Amino acid sequence: MKRISHLVLVVFILLAGAEAFAAADTILIKNGTIVPVKGDSTTTGDLLIENGKIIKIGTRIQAPAGAKVIDASGKYVYPGLVAVMTAVGVTGYPGAGNDTDEVGTSTPHMDPYDAINPEDECIEVTRLGGVTTVQTVSGTRSVINGKSVILHLEGDLADKMVAKRYVAQIINMGAREQNKYPSTQPGIVSFLRTKFDQALEYSEKLSETDKKSQKDKNKKDEKGKESLAQRNLEMEALVPVVTGKVPVIFITTDEVTIRNALEIIKKYKLKGIIRANSAILKYADRIAKENIPVIWAGTTTIPGRWEPFDLNYHTAAVLAEKGILFAFDPGGWGPGNRNVRDMPTPASISVAHGLSEKKALEALTINPAQILGIEEEVGSLEAGKTANVVIWTGSPIQGRSRVETVIIRGKLIPMTSLQTRLYEKFKKIVYERMKKKK
Amino acid sequence: MGRRFIVILATLAVIANCVWAQDLALKGGTILTITDGTIENGTLVIQNGKITAVGKNVKIPSGIKVIDVTGKYIMPGVIDSHSHIALTDVNEATDPVTPQIWMWEALEPGSDSIRKTLAGGVTTVKTMHGSANVIGGVNVTIKLRYDRPVEELIIPGVRQQLKMALGENPKRVYGSKQRIPSTRMGNAYVARKAFIEAKEYKAKWDKYEKDKASGKKDLTPPKKDLRMETLKMVLEKKLSIDCHTYRADEIVWIINFCKEFDIDLLQLSHCIDGYKVADIMAEAGVFYGGWVDWWGFKEEAYDGCPYGMQIMHDAGVKIVINSDSPVEGRYLFRVAAKVLKYTDIPENEVLKMITLNPAESLELGDRIGSLEKGKDGDIAVFDKHPLDTTTKCLMTIIEGEIFFDYTKESVTVTSEGEQHRFPPPNGRVESIEASHVASHKSDKGGNR
Repeated sequence: MKRISHLVLVVFILLAGAEAFAAADTILIKNGTIVPVKGDSTTTGDLLIENGKIIKIGTRIQAPAGAKVIDASGKYVYPGLVAVMTAVGVTGYPGAGNDTDEVGTSTPHMDPYDAINPEDECIEVTRLGGVTTVQTVSGTRSVINGKSVILHLEGDLADKMVAKRYVAQIINMGAREQNKYPSTQPGIVSFLRTKFDQALEYSEKLSETDKKSQKDKNKKDEKGKESLAQRNLEMEALVPVVTGKVPVIFITTDEVTIRNALEIIKKYKLKGIIRANSAILKYADRIAKENIPVIWAGTTTIPGRWEPFDLNYHTAAVLAEKGILFAFDPGGWGPGNRNVRDMPTPASISVAHGLSEKKALEALTINPAQILGIEEEVGSLEAGKTANVVIWTGSPIQGRSRVETVIIRGKLIPMTSLQTRLYEKFKKIVYERMKKKK
Repeated sequence: MGRRFIVILATLAVIANCVWAQDLALKGGTILTITDGTIENGTLVIQNGKITAVGKNVKIPSGIKVIDVTGKYIMPGVIDSHSHIALTDVNEATDPVTPQIWMWEALEPGSDSIRKTLAGGVTTVKTMHGSANVIGGVNVTIKLRYDRPVEELIIPGVRQQLKMALGENPKRVYGSKQRIPSTRMGNAYVARKAFIEAKEYKAKWDKYEKDKASGKKDLTPPKKDLRMETLKMVLEKKLSIDCHTYRADEIVWIINFCKEFDIDLLQLSHCIDGYKVADIMAEAGVFYGGWVDWWGFKEEAYDGCPYGMQIMHDAGVKIVINSDSPVEGRYLFRVAAKVLKYTDIPENEVLKMITLNPAESLELGDRIGSLEKGKDGDIAVFDKHPLDTTTKCLMTIIEGEIFFDYTKESVTVTSEGEQHRFPPPNGRVESIEASHVASHKSDKGGNR
C-alpha cells in the first residue's frame, strides 16, 4: 500500500513536471535580428518572454533564473504570422473528419467553436510554417455562413486554443444557390436585406423584452421561459451584426459583388470587411475613403483575358499606396486548402511586383491582427503582447527561409508534425531497403 | 492516324523553325547554365534558334541583335511537364479507357493561358488529358509560341506520353455512375484488360503485316480500332506513359504493371507518396512529378510531405516540379525555392527540377533544359536569382524569339487603353476549360 502511494506520488510529480513544461516558459532569445514589424525598426538584440508575454526587447538582457536561453545569432526574430481566414481546427481528416459548411443558405448561428478539434493535424503543420494565430471560419459556401473564432495554434483542449469568439460573421456575396432562391446576384442582395431587416426587428423586440423583464423581476423565470420558446438562434446571431458590434467579412468574387457588398455595408452601417480575389482596384478609392479593411486573396488569381498578366501581382502595392488596411490571404479556403503555411507566397509575389517588404510583412502579421481586432494582443513584437514569436533563418517572404523555433503564448513548441514524423519513418524504411539491396 | 499526323506536323514545324528562328545575343548577365556552373557577366549567343556560344569572353557576331542584361539572371526556359493549359477540353470522362483521344486536337495556340504562363519564364509544357480515366488520352508537348499555327507549338520528333490515372479520381467518376471502376481493384482490372486486348490486337496486325510482306495473297486486314491503335503504339514503345498516382501502393503497382507489359513509364505525376518508395522509383528510373508542399486536399494526398524530397534525392530519384495548374504554372521558380526550405538539396539541383529534369522526363534532355552550345535558345531572364522569391521574370525567349517582355506587358508600364494590344485570335473561343482546371486553389480537388 505504501509502495503504491509512493508510485502515485512519483507519477504526480512527473505530471506536475509535465504541466510545468506545458505551462508558459521563461525564454530569453539572445542576439537575434529582431524585426518587431510595428513601431521600432529592426535591431540586433534580445527578447525576454515570461508568463506567456513579451516582457522586454533590448540588448544584454540578463537571463532570469531557470530561463531557457535560445541563441539566435545570425537568425531573425519575427512575430508569428496571423492567418486571416482558415479552416484550421475544423478540417480534420478528408471526408468524415471535415466539419465545415453546414447545409443552408443562412446559417449565421454556426460556430466553429463547437467543432474545434485540437488534434487536427493541420494545426502542427501550420505552426511549423511560422503561423501562430488563425481565424477559423465555419464555412464559405452559403450566403450567410456563420461565426468565426481566433485560435492560437497551441493547446490540448479547444477551450485553451480559443482566444476570441464570434470575431466576425462570414457572408459570401457569390454563393448562388442552384435551382432555388437566391440563384442570382440580385437575389442574394435581396435575401441579405430581408435577413438584416428581420434581424433589426428582432433586435428591437429583444430590447423590449429585456426592459419588460427588468421591470417585473418577480416574473423573471416565467418570462425567461416564454422568451426561450420564441428564441430564434439565427436572428440572435445576426443581431450583433446589424447593430454594428460584430464585423462582417464579405467574400466577393468580382466587381459586382464588391459593389453590392459596399452598398450593404453603407445601408446597414455595418462593420464591413471586404475579402476579394480580384477587381478590388476598381473600388480602391472608395474603399480608402470609407476606411474599409480588405482581405486580399487575389494575388495569384489569373487576370482576365484583356488584363495585364501582373494586374493582381501588383494590386497589393496599389492598396498599400492608397493607405488601405489589408491582409494577405493565400486564396484557397477550406478542406481543399490545408496549406495555410504557404501564406507568404502571395506576399513574396507582391514584393516582386512593387510592394515594399515592410508593408508585405505587416500584411502577414499586424494588419490581419488589426482587421480581426486582436492587434493589442498579437501581430508585432512589443512588450506586453502575447508571446507568439518565431525564429527564422531569413525573411518569411523568402521561400527558402526556414522556421527554427516557434513560441506560442510563451510556450516552446516541439518542431514536429505529421509530416516530420512521416519523414523520419520513411527515411528509415527506404534507407534500410537501399542498404539491403547493396 | 494520330501518329501520321504528328509526323506531318513535325515536318511542318521543322520548316517553320527555319522561318521564324532568330539570332540574338544576351550580354552582361549572370548565366545559370545548369550543367556547367554559373557564369558571371557572361554572354549567350543564339543563332538560327540554337545556342551557339555561352561564356565569359564570347565574341558577338556582327549584325546580331544584342540585349544588355547586365545585373540580370539568365536561365534555361522553365519546363512544366504536367500542365493543362491551352486546351479547349481536358477530360473525355465518358469511359475509363480512351486512348483514342489525342490532346493536340484540343490545343488552342491563342489561349490566353499561354500568354500568362510565358510571363513566368516558361517555354515548354506537356499539356495533358485529365485524370478521370484509368487510360486517358495522349498528351502533347509544346513550346509556348503564343497564337502561332499549331505546328509551330508541337515539338517535332518528341515521343508523346499517354496519360494514365489511378486512385480516387477514376473511382469517383465511374463509381458515381455505378460503373466499373469504383475501386482500386477495378482500376487495375480496367488497365490490365485494355493492355491484354492491345497485345492480342497487335499480334493480329503483326501477323497480317508479316504475311503481307511475305507475299501472301487474299489477306483480309484485321478490323481497325483507334483505341487499340494507340495502345499498340505504347506496346511498340512509340509512346510512353505518364501515370497520375498518389499512394505508395499505386506507385509500386504501376511500376510492376509497366514491367509486366514491357511498356515505358517515364513520369509519375502528383506522386504524393513517392518518398515512401523512393528506392523503388529510382530503380525503375521513373521521374517524380509533383508539387513541393501541397498536402491533404483529399484523402490520398494526406501524406504529402515536402521533407520527403530529401529521401527521393538521396535515393537517386529524378525530381520534377509540376504545376498541374495555370495558377502555379506562372511561378514554378517560386515553388521550387521552397525545396530549399524543407531539404538540404543544393540550389543547382533545385533549378534542375524545373529545367533539365523535366526536359529529360520529356526525353528532350539533349535539346532543352540547360544552356549549352547546340541546345535550343529557350531562355528566361530574371531580375534577381530565380530562387529568390522576390524575383520576377523579365523576358521569355523561345528559340531566339522574344515571346514575353516585361517592359511591354506589365501593368506598371501599360495604360488602360493599351491593355487591348492582344487581339482575339480569329474565330477561336477562349479556353474556358483550361482555366477551369485549377483557376482557384480551393478547387484543387477538381483535376487533382
